[in-house]
Amino acid sequence: MEFKVSLGPQHPALHEALSLRMTLEGEIIRDADLKLGYSHRGIEKLAEERTFTQNIYLTERICGICSHSHTTCFVQGVEQLMELIPARRGLYIRTLIAELERVHSHLLWLGVAGQEAGFESFFMYTWRDREVVMDILDWITGNRVHYAMNTFGGVRRDIDELQKKKILDSLDLLTKRTEYYLSIGANEPTFVNRLAGVGKLSREDAIALCAVGPTLRASGVPMDVRKDDPYAVYNEIPFEVCTADSCDVLGRTVVRVKELIQSYKMIEFLLKNLPDGPFKVKAPRKVKPNEVYSRYEAPRGENVHYIKSNGSDKPERLKVRAPTLANYPATIKMLKNGFIADIPLIFAAIDPCICCAERLVQLDNPGSGESKVLSFSQLRTMANDHYKKVNLMKKEAVWPF
Amino acid sequence: MNSEAIFEKINGEIKDKILEAAIAAPRRISVKVERGQLLSVLAYLKDQLQFTHLATISGVDLGENFEVIYHLSNDTTTILLRILTPRAEPKIPSVCQVIPGAILYERELQDMFGLLVENIPDPRRLLLCDDWPQGQYPLRKDWKFDRPAEIIPGGK
Repeated sequence: MEFKVSLGPQHPALHEALSLRMTLEGEIIRDADLKLGYSHRGIEKLAEERTFTQNIYLTERICGICSHSHTTCFVQGVEQLMELIPARRGLYIRTLIAELERVHSHLLWLGVAGQEAGFESFFMYTWRDREVVMDILDWITGNRVHYAMNTFGGVRRDIDELQKKKILDSLDLLTKRTEYYLSIGANEPTFVNRLAGVGKLSREDAIALCAVGPTLRASGVPMDVRKDDPYAVYNEIPFEVCTADSCDVLGRTVVRVKELIQSYKMIEFLLKNLPDGPFKVKAPRKVKPNEVYSRYEAPRGENVHYIKSNGSDKPERLKVRAPTLANYPATIKMLKNGFIADIPLIFAAIDPCICCAERLVQLDNPGSGESKVLSFSQLRTMANDHYKKVNLMKKEAVWPF
Repeated sequence: MNSEAIFEKINGEIKDKILEAAIAAPRRISVKVERGQLLSVLAYLKDQLQFTHLATISGVDLGENFEVIYHLSNDTTTILLRILTPRAEPKIPSVCQVIPGAILYERELQDMFGLLVENIPDPRRLLLCDDWPQGQYPLRKDWKFDRPAEIIPGGK
C-alpha cells in the first residue's frame, strides 16, 4: 500500500524551511516532491533599486555561510563591466578569504554529516576545529560570518605579517586534524557502512540534471569553475580537482575532506606569495551599458551571477543562481527508492542552503481518508476561529501569587 | 577545444540556424537564435560540443520583448544562448526534453516573468505562495511593490 508523508517546512531533521512530500511504500520512498519558497526574499528585485556599492552588501546577505562567494561573484562581474583591473594584492586576499570560507563551510558540513549519521563525537571534533578558522576570519576581517571584505577594485582591509604568521601556525593543526578525518572517512567501519551506497546518483544522471559542486564531483565528473573558468588568481595557484567514483554520500564526504586538504595548501601558497603593493584601486560609480556572466566555485558548487547594466549607478538586472537550487533535481533522484531513514543524510549531503518558497497545506482526515487543500490565508482564518471558540483555561485562571 | 575553435564551429556548421554569434569576453560566446530554432541549436551544442551543463535561465524585461538567456557551460567555455519573445505573446518552448535539469529554472521564469513555457513537464508554481494573486509577475519592470501603510494597533 502506498501512502503520502509530508516532511517540513518545520521539522527537526531539516535546518531550514523546506517542504518535502513523499510517496512511500513501506519504508521505501517511491516518489518525492519538493516545495520551495518559504524564505524567498525578493533580492533580485531589490537589487534593481540599489546602487552597485549597496548591492555588494545586499548580495552578502543572500547566504550566511557562503557570504564571500556571493560578493566575490558580484564584485568580479561588476569589475568587468567597469573595465577595472583590481589590485593584485587585493585579489590574493580575496582568494585567501574564499579558501578560508571553503574550509569553514566544509568543516561545518562534516559535522552535520556526522550528526545525521549518528556519529556525534565527529560533529564535536569538526566544529571545534571550525572555531580555529572562524577565529582567523574574525581576526583578519573583523567578522565571523559577513566578512564585508570585498569592494570594487580589491578588498577593504589589508593583512599584516603577524596575521600571516598566525594563519600559517593554525594551518599545521588543521592539516593534521583533517588527515585524521580522512582516515576516519575511509576506514571507520560504522561510519563507512552508514554512508556507503546511500543516495546513489549515477554519472549520467548527475550530468543530465545539471548538478554542481561536490555532489557532481562525487559522481566522477571533474567540473570545478576554479579550473575550467579561472577567476581571481586561481590560474596562478597549484591545486587538484578532487573527485570520487562511488556516487554516494561516502563519496561526497571524501571529496569534501580532500578539498579541505587542497584548500590548506592553497592558503599556504597564497600567504607565502602575497604580492606587495596597494590592496585596492579606485572604482568609478557609473557603469557603461553592458552585461556580464560571472561564475564562482562556492563551497557548495557553482555560483552564478548574471549582471546587466544600463549606464546608471544601478543594475538593470541581477540574476543569482545559488548552488543548492541546481542540486535539487538531483536530490529528488537520490531520494527515490531510498529509505525514509536516509532522508536527512541525503539532504545534508548536498549541503543545502535554502532560500526559496511556497505555501500550501494538505490535510488528510484520518477518519474518512478525505484530503483537503487549504491556502495559507484560509488556514490562518481557521486557526483564528478555532482559538476564538476555545474557552482558554488560562483566561479564568487565578494567578496564585 | 577552446572558445575560438567552438566559435568557428558554431559559425561554420549551424550558421543557417542562428541569427548572430560573437565572442563577448574571454571564454564567453553570445549566440542569438530564433524562438523556433532553440531546441535544435541546444541539441547540437549538447551532442556535438558537450555543452551539457545548463547553469541557469535568466529572464530580462526589455519593454516590448522579454529576453531569455540560457547559460550553457562545458569545460572551457560558456555560451549565452538568447532568444526574444514578445510581451504580447510571451511563449517559450520547454528545453526539458534536451536538458532535464532545466525544470526548476523554467518554473521560476513562469512565476517571475509570466512567460508561458510550452510542454513543460511540471507547470506548478515554484517560489510564489499559493495565495499570490493571478497575473502579478514581480520581476517585470512595470511591477512595483507598494508597502502598505503601517498601522499600530491602539496607536495614534
